[in-house]
Amino acid sequence: MNDTALGEVIEATTRQFVAEVYEEADAPNFGAWVRVEPDGAPPLFGLVSHVETGSYDSNRQAVALGLSPEERAQEMPMVDELLRTTVRVQMLACEGPGGDLRQTLPPQPPGIHDFVAPCTEAQVRRIGAPFDYLRTLVEHPDPAVPVDDLLVAVLRRTYAAHGGENGGREPLVQAGRALSRLLDDDHERLQSILRRVL
Amino acid sequence: MLDLRQLRDQLSDFESHQGDRENRREAQEERARTLLRACHEHWRQVQDAAKAAQPRRLVAEMREPPAATHPAPERPTPITVVATDGSQIYPDRHLEPPFFLLNISQVAFQYGTTEKAHLDATPSLHFREPLADRFGEPLDTIPAELVSALRDEQELRRLLEAATTARVSGRPLVALADGTLIRWMIRGMDNDALESTLIARYTQFLDGFREEGRALASYVSLPASTEIVNLLRFVGGDLAAAPPDLPTRAPDAPRLDGLLDRHVLALILGPGERSAVFGSASHIQAEYPTGTDIAFFYLRVPGPGGGELGRVEVPRWVADDAALLDRVHATVLHECRKGEGYPLALSEAHERAVVRASEREAFYRLMERRLRRAGLEPTGSRKRRSKQRPRV
Repeated sequence: MNDTALGEVIEATTRQFVAEVYEEADAPNFGAWVRVEPDGAPPLFGLVSHVETGSYDSNRQAVALGLSPEERAQEMPMVDELLRTTVRVQMLACEGPGGDLRQTLPPQPPGIHDFVAPCTEAQVRRIGAPFDYLRTLVEHPDPAVPVDDLLVAVLRRTYAAHGGENGGREPLVQAGRALSRLLDDDHERLQSILRRVL
Repeated sequence: MLDLRQLRDQLSDFESHQGDRENRREAQEERARTLLRACHEHWRQVQDAAKAAQPRRLVAEMREPPAATHPAPERPTPITVVATDGSQIYPDRHLEPPFFLLNISQVAFQYGTTEKAHLDATPSLHFREPLADRFGEPLDTIPAELVSALRDEQELRRLLEAATTARVSGRPLVALADGTLIRWMIRGMDNDALESTLIARYTQFLDGFREEGRALASYVSLPASTEIVNLLRFVGGDLAAAPPDLPTRAPDAPRLDGLLDRHVLALILGPGERSAVFGSASHIQAEYPTGTDIAFFYLRVPGPGGGELGRVEVPRWVADDAALLDRVHATVLHECRKGEGYPLALSEAHERAVVRASEREAFYRLMERRLRRAGLEPTGSRKRRSKQRPRV
């Protein structure tokens, strides 16, 4: 886990957690699936719903410097040290004690400082039909996140994990059907989402 | 609660007082300007007279004509700038067991390169301080001055360490300390042996810089020193000592009380310029090892409203070496420009060293939890808590 970890949990609830991304790691994309394997407990899976870069210190704000990236690195070398990227992850699935995947919130939040790693393509494929997690996303969205954009991102991810043009269409249709029911046949909204997926 | 209505009349009074003060300040500055000119023209004669008269006040020692100004040279690049700062949790007499905590930061920047910045801070918990024996008092009554003295010593120790570890062969270096290098505040502890120990411990690190010939400097923001003003007072005959007999006459009034060195040098320094270098006459320096006595100059840091004057202190080996002095002048000015009026490396060192109220609380909680788990009930914590959050 340590090798692939992109960051660590720094705030946690059963519904969502915040992770700080390691300086040397690439921040995960909005709509990417990540996993946490708490010590001695089954893995948890969540969706990156917010990526934020800012000052480490809540008392200090980043300000415009008017320097080129090179000048900044040469004369204000502490700036990079003072910035950090955090991601907010919506908890959507977890493994049961038998290793089965449950598309529901976990019984316990992850621990603070638990490692967060990107999900592999196989793991993303596993969080598929019947797409129950879409219900959690649509009915109880994070109020600070435009839910349709998150749906677009997660469907694109599902499509890509299944091979895109070579096999991605079928799971996308299944997810679209689930979404259609959830959106009360609001075709316009569904069309707007699906249009942006492909 | 503060009742602002009751302050209305007092504020009017304050306003007229401020007006009077400004008028007086203008007259004082005019006289100071005349005295500085006289002192500048006859500086060697004044210096000899001051030496002979031994005025009781601290009078700046001149090493060159005192009204000399020097434009800022270019800062070399690449250059290594290291800085340290410290903060503390003072002993609390409401808390048992007694302890104090020091948090000393260290920063090192390799300007002009893309090498990574080094920023860190090291906390240390002091509960068995060997000085407590010498002080002859239990640790919980150790005064804040002693804790501050130990903190200053650790700041200089870590600065010397940074100047050694961050140094790159062939690359110039400047080590910046916060505040003064003159340990005058150690006086007044009413314990000669302790004072000597503290000075010896501090100056051994100064000596470490001297042995390597490193450019060490400290920066005092909004300095309240009056050593140059005392020099002018001496020239103007305001002190009990006999003034020098100069051919130029200056007015006898007004007296220069309340005027600071930075007010006088603000009259002659342009943006980025530094003043002449003066030697400090502080008595405590008699206990400094030879060659580590402290000199100083003033620097006009450009900024809104003409900027402000900072005092830069350097040990003798820097003051005596024109190249090191230029390097310090250029570097401090550059640092102040980047730090919007205060040296950037020092303000980063401060940010690393500071112990915020929430962190102090977290530390207290951790300590209490640890003691409780070990079956050692800490006392006094309740009083501390009730002081922090008054209840209705």
